[in-house]
Amino acid sequence: MQLPDKKGHFGEYGGRYISETLMPAVIELELFYKKIKNDKEFIKEFNYYLKNYVGRPSPLYFAKRLSDVYKSDIYLKREDLNHTGAHKINNTIGQALLAVKMGKKRIIAETGAGQHGVATATVCALFDLECEVFMGKKDVERQKQNVFRMELLGAKVNPVESGSQTLKDAMNEALRDWITNIKTTYYMIGTVAGPHPYPLIVRDFQSVIGKEVLKQLKKLPDILIACVGGGSNALGLFYPFFKYYQVDMYGVEAGGCGIETGMHAASISGGAPGVLHGNKTYLLQDEFGRIADAHSIAAGLDYPGIGPEHSYFADKKRIIFDSVTDEEAVTAFQKLCRLEGIIPALESSHAVAYLEKIKKEIKGKTVVINLSGRGDKDMHTISDYLASNTLKK
Amino acid sequence: MSKENKIDTVFKRLRTENKTAFIPFISIGDPDIETSLEIAKTLVKNGADIIELGFPFSDPMADGKVIQKSYERALKRKISMKDAFNFIKKLKTYRDIPVILFTYYNPVFILGEKFAEGAQSAGIDGILAVDLPPEESAELTKYIQDKNIYQIYLLAPTTGNERMKDILSCAKGFVYYVSVTGVTGARKNLPETIRTKVKEIKKISSIPVGVGFGISSKEQAKDIGKSADAVIIGSKIIQFIEDNINDKPAMLRKIAEFSSGIKSSL
Repeated sequence: MQLPDKKGHFGEYGGRYISETLMPAVIELELFYKKIKNDKEFIKEFNYYLKNYVGRPSPLYFAKRLSDVYKSDIYLKREDLNHTGAHKINNTIGQALLAVKMGKKRIIAETGAGQHGVATATVCALFDLECEVFMGKKDVERQKQNVFRMELLGAKVNPVESGSQTLKDAMNEALRDWITNIKTTYYMIGTVAGPHPYPLIVRDFQSVIGKEVLKQLKKLPDILIACVGGGSNALGLFYPFFKYYQVDMYGVEAGGCGIETGMHAASISGGAPGVLHGNKTYLLQDEFGRIADAHSIAAGLDYPGIGPEHSYFADKKRIIFDSVTDEEAVTAFQKLCRLEGIIPALESSHAVAYLEKIKKEIKGKTVVINLSGRGDKDMHTISDYLASNTLKK
Repeated sequence: MSKENKIDTVFKRLRTENKTAFIPFISIGDPDIETSLEIAKTLVKNGADIIELGFPFSDPMADGKVIQKSYERALKRKISMKDAFNFIKKLKTYRDIPVILFTYYNPVFILGEKFAEGAQSAGIDGILAVDLPPEESAELTKYIQDKNIYQIYLLAPTTGNERMKDILSCAKGFVYYVSVTGVTGARKNLPETIRTKVKEIKKISSIPVGVGFGISSKEQAKDIGKSADAVIIGSKIIQFIEDNINDKPAMLRKIAEFSSGIKSSL
C-alpha cells in the first residue's frame, strides 16, 4: 500500500487539519509537488546541490572503537558532516527549489534549536529569497549563536512571545504569518509533520539518507537507530528500508527527566493521539486536549508532537519506539567524543545512547546509527549541564 | 419528529424582517467563568441573535493577539469541556438563544462521542472547529448528525469557485465567510471584495452567509449587513474585557453599549 493515501492519511494519522484560508495553498503545493517530483530536470538540480553544496554523499563510517565496546559492527551515518552541520539542509534545498519553481519570493520557517532555521536561511541566501524565521523567545535566548548565524545569512529572526515560547509556539506564529501572507509566501516546514503534503515532501527529500546507506553498506543492516523529535532524520534513514522486513528499526524519543516525571518530549512513549499543527498524530497533551509543554536537553527534540507516519508505524510496531533520558544522552555524548573523536549533537546523542539499552540484542549484529548533526551548537548546554551535575554530586 | 435547529429559526425570522443577524463572540472563562457568563447575558440582552462561544485552547493558530490573550486569561484556571457545557446550560436557562461553540478540533477529538452527547444535552446548536475542514469532518459528522447539531463551515478569500461549491453543498445553518486573509482581530479597513464575494456565494447557494474576522465598528457592520445575513464580531468585544479588566461594571456597560449599537445598525 502506498502511504500516505490520496488525502494524506497514514492510516488514521496525518491529513489536513487547517483553517480554510490555508487549504487552497496546501492543495496547490500538493499538485505542484506531484507534477515536479519525477521531473528529470528537478531531480538533477536537487542532486547537483546535494553533491556540490551539501557535500553528499555523507560518509557511512565504521566506528571501530564503539563497535569493540558493544561487540557488534556499528556504523555512523555522518549527517553531521553536511554543510550547516545537520541533516536539515537536505530538506531545505529541496523545498527551496520547489518554492523557486512555484514563483514564491518570501520564505518563512519555524525553528526550535535553530538548525532548521539556519538551514532555511542558508538556502534563502543561496537562491536569493527573502527569509523570516519564527523562534520561541526562550529558544532565542538558549541558542544565541544560531540566531546570529541566521542573521549573518540575511534572515530576519522573529522571537515568539506567546504560549510556552518554544518550538510549538514558533510553529503557531509561522502558521499565522502564512495565513496572512499566503499569496506571496512559501512555508518551509522543517520536519515530517504539518498538513499533507508536508510529511510526504520532507520524507522524500530526507530519504536520500537511507538510500545512500543501502548503497554504502552493500548488505542489509540488522538494526537501524535514529533519534526522533518530529522525526525527519529517522524517517530519512528508515523509509528506504521499510520493505526489508528483516531490518529492525528503533526510534529514540527524548525522555527528558524520565517519562514518569512528565518532563519529557516523548510523544509516542508518553502521549496520545490528537490533532495539532495540521495533522493527526501522537501528542503530549492534558486530559482536556490542551497541548502540554515538552522538555528535553536537546532543543531539536523539544516538541510535543511527532510526524504522522511515525505514529502509524508505531501502532503497526514496524518502528519500535523507546526513550532515553537527558542524563543517558549526555553520557553517550561524552562516550562518542572520547571513543571516536566525534562531538555529536545532543539530539543524535539520544540515538547513540540507545546502544546501551539494547546491548544484549546487538551483539554480533550490524547496526547503523543516524548521526544527524554535530554538537558545536550544544557547547553551552553541555557545559552548564555538567557544571550543575558536578555541583549536585 | 425532529425539531428545527434554532440557527435556522433565527435566520428565517430575520429574513422575513429583512434584518441581519448579530453574532458576537467571547471566550468561555475570560476573565473568569462567572464574569464571562455575565458578559454573555449582557450580549444576549443587547441584541445578539446568536452567540458564538470560544473554548480556550493552548495553541490558537488562527487567532490574532486579542483572542490569544483572551484564551491565556481563561486558561489560567483549567477549564474543561464539561465546564463549557455547564456554562452553556446556564446561559440557555437565561434565554433560549442559539449557541455556536467555536473550538480547535483537538479538545473535541479526544472526547469523541462523549463530546457530542455533552453538546447535545447542553443545548449546543452549532460547532465551528476552525481547523477541521470538510475533508476531515467525517468523524465529527458521524457523532453529531443525529443530534441536531450543525457543523458550521468556513469560506475564505482564498477559496476557489469549485471548492466553494463543494463546501456549500454540505453547509448547514449558515456559512461563515472569513472577510480577510489573515487571523482574527479588529481592522480599520476591510477589503472591498467582501460584497462581491458574498454575492458569489449567494449565487451558488441559498444558505445564509455570515461575515466575520476584522469587523470592529457600526459603520463596517452596517455596510457588510447590506449584503450578508449575519455579522460576526469577536476581537473588538474582547478588547473591552482586556481594557477594563479591573472594572467589571465599566466592562459590562461598554459591551452593552457597543452591542446595542451594532444591533441597531443592522
